[in-house]
Amino acid sequence: MSEMLLPTTTVGSFGKPDYLTKARAQHGRGKLGATELEELERKATAEWIKRQEDIDLDVLVDGEMYRGDMVAYFAERLEGFTLGGLVRSYGNRYYHKPVISGKVGRPRPMTVSWFEYAQSLTDRPVKGMLTGPYTLLDWSYNEAYPTRRDAVLALAEVVRDEARDLERAGARYIQIDEPAIHARPEEIGIAIEAMGIVTAGLSAKTISHVCYGDFAAIYPQVLDLAVDQLDLAMANYGYRWLDLFDRDPFTKELAIGIVDVHAHETESIAEAAEGIRKGLRYVKPEKLWPHPDCGLKTRTVEESLEKCVAVVEATKVVRKELARVPA
Amino acid sequence: MKTTVIGAYPKIGDEPSEQELRRALHRHDRGELGDSELDAVFDDATKAAIAEIEAAGIDVTNDAQIRWDDLLAPFARAWSGVERGPLERFYDNNTYFRQPVIKDAISSDGQTLVRDYTFAKGVAKATLKAAVAGPLTFAALAQDEHYRSFEDRVLAVADAIAKEMRGLAAAGARRVDIEDPAVVASPRHIELAREAYGRLAGAAHALALVTYFFPPDAILESLASFPVAAIAIDVRSRDTTAFERLDAFRDKYVLLGVVDARNTRVETAEEIARYAERALRLVPEDHLRLAPTTSLEYLPRDVARKKLAALVEGARLVSGEKVPA
Repeated sequence: MSEMLLPTTTVGSFGKPDYLTKARAQHGRGKLGATELEELERKATAEWIKRQEDIDLDVLVDGEMYRGDMVAYFAERLEGFTLGGLVRSYGNRYYHKPVISGKVGRPRPMTVSWFEYAQSLTDRPVKGMLTGPYTLLDWSYNEAYPTRRDAVLALAEVVRDEARDLERAGARYIQIDEPAIHARPEEIGIAIEAMGIVTAGLSAKTISHVCYGDFAAIYPQVLDLAVDQLDLAMANYGYRWLDLFDRDPFTKELAIGIVDVHAHETESIAEAAEGIRKGLRYVKPEKLWPHPDCGLKTRTVEESLEKCVAVVEATKVVRKELARVPA
Repeated sequence: MKTTVIGAYPKIGDEPSEQELRRALHRHDRGELGDSELDAVFDDATKAAIAEIEAAGIDVTNDAQIRWDDLLAPFARAWSGVERGPLERFYDNNTYFRQPVIKDAISSDGQTLVRDYTFAKGVAKATLKAAVAGPLTFAALAQDEHYRSFEDRVLAVADAIAKEMRGLAAAGARRVDIEDPAVVASPRHIELAREAYGRLAGAAHALALVTYFFPPDAILESLASFPVAAIAIDVRSRDTTAFERLDAFRDKYVLLGVVDARNTRVETAEEIARYAERALRLVPEDHLRLAPTTSLEYLPRDVARKKLAALVEGARLVSGEKVPA
């Protein structure tokens, strides 16, 4: 992988097939057992691994068929959390916002068996996918810790343990998402301190996805985040964050979002390719990773697939252009 | 000690019986429910929310903003010259809004909120107030492809908001909250904000400049000279020196955001009373109102109910005696 130009990947989640959406609803109403639900989650995971191989993505994800929400999934498995009531995130979308009601702890690994299962289905690398400590705190209600920093640092230790278990299970890529990192720009130091705890001593490539917020407010400090790769939504923002790199050069690998995940229509291959070319002005092709802006869980299976195809096809166009340029 | 609410109330609850609106919106999306049927569900949800606020014993309610997708949405939808753009995070919340995109000169017919206000007036038993988005917040969070400068944009938005307030006043609104967190989020624009509020003055009877999420510390004394009757401040989201400086507001009503609308831990009545008593050292009792810090919609509905109950209980506890400094 190290020499590949413009390796393609995705941010983590994909649309769930109808049979799984129905099964999750039935399970929620107590009409479908956990074993039966898991059987369908495994089936949907296998289908997504196959689809990713078929369309020729380079670094795969398990698609998060077994997760509803990226914070609630961990909150349900960690000690110290209780699941709160429904709150609205936008439009008619609601989620169960977790409550930190006691000291947090990790009784057992939370994602390792899903990683192992997904990796067993393919020869291509599958990323281990975690939610970062700052986001776990920011997207929960903190009733237990006296300060936000106290809560974030406690969470960093449990995320670190999970990351180490993923690496032991063979993960070569570990993604620790921090989409909330710019929620309070004055707290960027806390997020950086926490990520330092999470990734210390890991030899896997580490990645952090950041999206939907004022990236300018945390740049260039965010370059101190202890990960190899930053994964940024760019298409939704008309690539305006790239302008920041003129003043303060970008020093990490960049996973660049080239299709907007909140639009039903998929960008043309030409549009997406133009996004990659914009990124190449700042990052070398072996360090630039084309992908969709964000997780695709709000899209249907078909829309998710279309967006991924646009990424892969646009990448092929630009790879050809790069091959024509004499070294 | 009087109490009021700020912004939006949770649109649904955790009980299936409290989720009619969510189901109706899904059915409307799928084309299974017509616009007028959806309107009826919105009205029912509005009625239920106002009833809950009143049942808690709140003195001054609003219409619960059940039709508002976000603070800017009603205006972005109604005004010509504005389209709705991409989703963006609303300040430091895991809650999103659609960014307004200003394509052309903004204009408003001033009727955007009149129907909702009139409906709420028909059902509310408590004193009713209206609310609008603040000009600085709308302008700061919009993408602008039309105006030449931020100043032009803010003042154009202020003119459109003023028109909405005149429409509301004609419909009988005597009190209007102007929800404008950008005033405290971007204190450097305070003088521009003052100019914008000059255009709002006189458009309705009693205006409240409602700030939240950030403390007013950098501009507190400047806010005191804004042409509004009341100032709402959030004393819970971040540390603030406001308690030592509230005497700056001697000519105004202070709506003190004492119940944290962004955390599920429910305050005790004693805790709420202590905040009120700290404020009473510098604010006369008849000029102090207690409120949540911001929209209770950041909480699950059952917690919102408990928060309102705690607010009212805390207000009743307040003795009115000043605590020695």
